Amino acid sequence: MTHLPSYRKTALVIIILLVLVFAGCTIWICSYQSDKNGLIADIYQDGKLIRSISLSDISESYTFSVTGRSGGSNTIQVSKGCIAVISADCPDKLCVHQGFIDNSLLPITCLPNHLVIQIRHSQTGNETEKESVPDIITY
Amino acid sequence: MNTKKLTFLAMFTTLALIIFTIESAIPPLVPIPGIKLGLANIITLVLLMNSSLSDALWVLLTRILLASFFFGQALSLLYSLAGGLCCLLVMYLINRLLQGHFIFLTSIVGAMFHNLGQLSVAYLVVRTTGVISYLPFLMLSGVLTGLFTGLCAYFIQRFLIPATAGSLFFSKSGDDN
Repeated sequence: MTHLPSYRKTALVIIILLVLVFAGCTIWICSYQSDKNGLIADIYQDGKLIRSISLSDISESYTFSVTGRSGGSNTIQVSKGCIAVISADCPDKLCVHQGFIDNSLLPITCLPNHLVIQIRHSQTGNETEKESVPDIITY
Repeated sequence: MNTKKLTFLAMFTTLALIIFTIESAIPPLVPIPGIKLGLANIITLVLLMNSSLSDALWVLLTRILLASFFFGQALSLLYSLAGGLCCLLVMYLINRLLQGHFIFLTSIVGAMFHNLGQLSVAYLVVRTTGVISYLPFLMLSGVLTGLFTGLCAYFIQRFLIPATAGSLFFSKSGDDN
């Protein structure tokens, strides 16, 4: 029982780290601001960009399918400002359950079919810069 | 490996598989790949606390292999292995540091590293940086689900193990009542 303070100290350090991670993640998710203009959906399969769609320019929704190297296929529906996987032959159908997305916060991912649909803003060009731009674009 | 030990490990693998089967019958809580309760981790935690790392490792590996034979495709095996092994290693270290106390902390950190391991494999599979956007969601879910499984393990340790101890765990030295 002489080691009593040592594990309590470790526990305290772990709790502090956990609180920091929890707060960091919450702030990351909550501080996200969506901008509805100039959205571009990039569709990646097996790490390659196979299609890029400007979501703001869509006047009528349409659907198309993509098939990966492994043979899995997903049917994607594009509407004005948003995109979704409406049917898929993967076992878990998580990509279908994700529904329509209209921001870059959470990409649609179908892991069995190696498919990722990611939305970005056309002005920023790169996925990495998210927070710096908004003021200049509002004209 | 004597008969008693074999029976013991087989029983715990069966328990883990039953828990895993029941959990896979629950529909996904949120439509984000990788987020689930991870209830089978309770068995890993109980073994880490009462038995040894190697016992926990054997049960984990057998459970993952059998579960992917029964339910999954080859790819889910890769995710489970990466997540499970990351989780086990980190939980072992944390449990050693905490000397068996605050089991829910061990579980939380384990769950977060489980998700981290799976996300790394997901990145290697799809090769798209977009999957990194899942990181904050997976970390938050790791804290919550890890807390839940950790509390389950805590109550098992507190109420269920004392009721069966002595007959169940033989391998732990100096603690036989």
